[in-house]
Amino acid sequence: MTVAALTFPQQVEESYTKALEQYLTEPHESALLRAYELGREALDRGLGVVEMATIHSHAIAAVQNRPVGEDKRAELLEAQMSFFMEALAPFEMAHRAFRDANTALRRLNDMLEGQAKRIAYSLHDEAGQLLAAMHLALAEAARLLPPETAEQLATVKDLVNQIEERLRNISHELRPPVLNLGLFPALEVLKEIVSKRWGLPVSLSVSLHGDLPATVETTVYRIAQEALTNAAKHARATQAEIDVRQTAHKLVCSVRDDGIGFDADDTAARLRRGLGLLEIKERVAAMDGVLRVGPNRNGGTNLTIEIPLEG
Amino acid sequence: MLSEVRVQIHSPDDIVTVRQRCRKLAAQVGFSNSDLALIATAISEVTRNIVEYAERGEVIITPLQNGTRKGVKIVASDRGPGIADIRTVMRDGYSTGTGLGIGLPGTKRLMDRFEITSEVGKGTTVIMKKWVP
Repeated sequence: MTVAALTFPQQVEESYTKALEQYLTEPHESALLRAYELGREALDRGLGVVEMATIHSHAIAAVQNRPVGEDKRAELLEAQMSFFMEALAPFEMAHRAFRDANTALRRLNDMLEGQAKRIAYSLHDEAGQLLAAMHLALAEAARLLPPETAEQLATVKDLVNQIEERLRNISHELRPPVLNLGLFPALEVLKEIVSKRWGLPVSLSVSLHGDLPATVETTVYRIAQEALTNAAKHARATQAEIDVRQTAHKLVCSVRDDGIGFDADDTAARLRRGLGLLEIKERVAAMDGVLRVGPNRNGGTNLTIEIPLEG
Repeated sequence: MLSEVRVQIHSPDDIVTVRQRCRKLAAQVGFSNSDLALIATAISEVTRNIVEYAERGEVIITPLQNGTRKGVKIVASDRGPGIADIRTVMRDGYSTGTGLGIGLPGTKRLMDRFEITSEVGKGTTVIMKKWVP
């Protein structure tokens, strides 16, 4: 068999076995350096820790043909361990890098959410007040200007109304202002809106203790909103329930309905739901959480998110 | 009383020497086998850089004692071309392109203290410390 015929993991295994044998025969630093270099190369070429462990155990099996005296056994075991640790050290570096990157991602996520909250506030409250003042000023101007300008003024007023509407929508997209009341009151408001607008009765059960990060609140609110909108508009549900529970280490939110579920939905509705769900899925994934969507026992849809909480 | 160890770096073979002497000293200081593997990795990464970019340099390993705490300090210096933008080399994936956190940023994560200074045309110095947990 030629070397070229070996796959990369096989090549690593061959070199690893050779270096291990050398180390067990004569424990020299050069063999440990080889273990580290093999580990580094394996990591770089995409091998995982489990593959390295497999390579290690194969190598052990290959070099263990010689009989070892009872007195030497502990020494041999320790040497094998040292060699294996050298090969794993580069993976430790990668593992720590991953942990750091994850922490940074979470922080960035929280920071963006905080930023969105401030911009939403600024658009909704500050710009909103300015526009309200502008309406008053316009009305004042209308009184003083000749009647011929009434049509132009009406156009201006209409444009101001459009700006107001846009700002409200953008602000709502960034962060629903109702969340400033807290998650539970916000969900109660949502429940009211859904039952009034679509006649869908919603039961709400919330068990929270302690503050939640803004990102978690927004995500829970959005998923409830998305799920209820679908239940009412597309799944022809007659009732729905929201259940939010905070435990020591996670937050679980499920929304169940008794609608017609997925399959009977028309394509456009599915697409709309798909896009909304996709965004929520991304948000949940960024927080290390999971999103599950499936039928529930009585045929409707069950949508659940689980988000780990820190501390 | 343990004393410092100096190793001149001229060729890739010196990586073996520096690891060996560092391991011996760190073991005497009281590091466990798993910490010895991590320290050996850190010292290999910085020594590799000397061999690869500066051709020659020096690594000094010193035992540390602060009250009852014990540790090692590793200083790796060279008179090579230096690094113009340290922030770039300390970014994950810069040298390897894989973003796996090996190289200098990975080394930093294995040690308790890590400082790098460099001047273009004059050389680079890495100072790192690790304490026995």
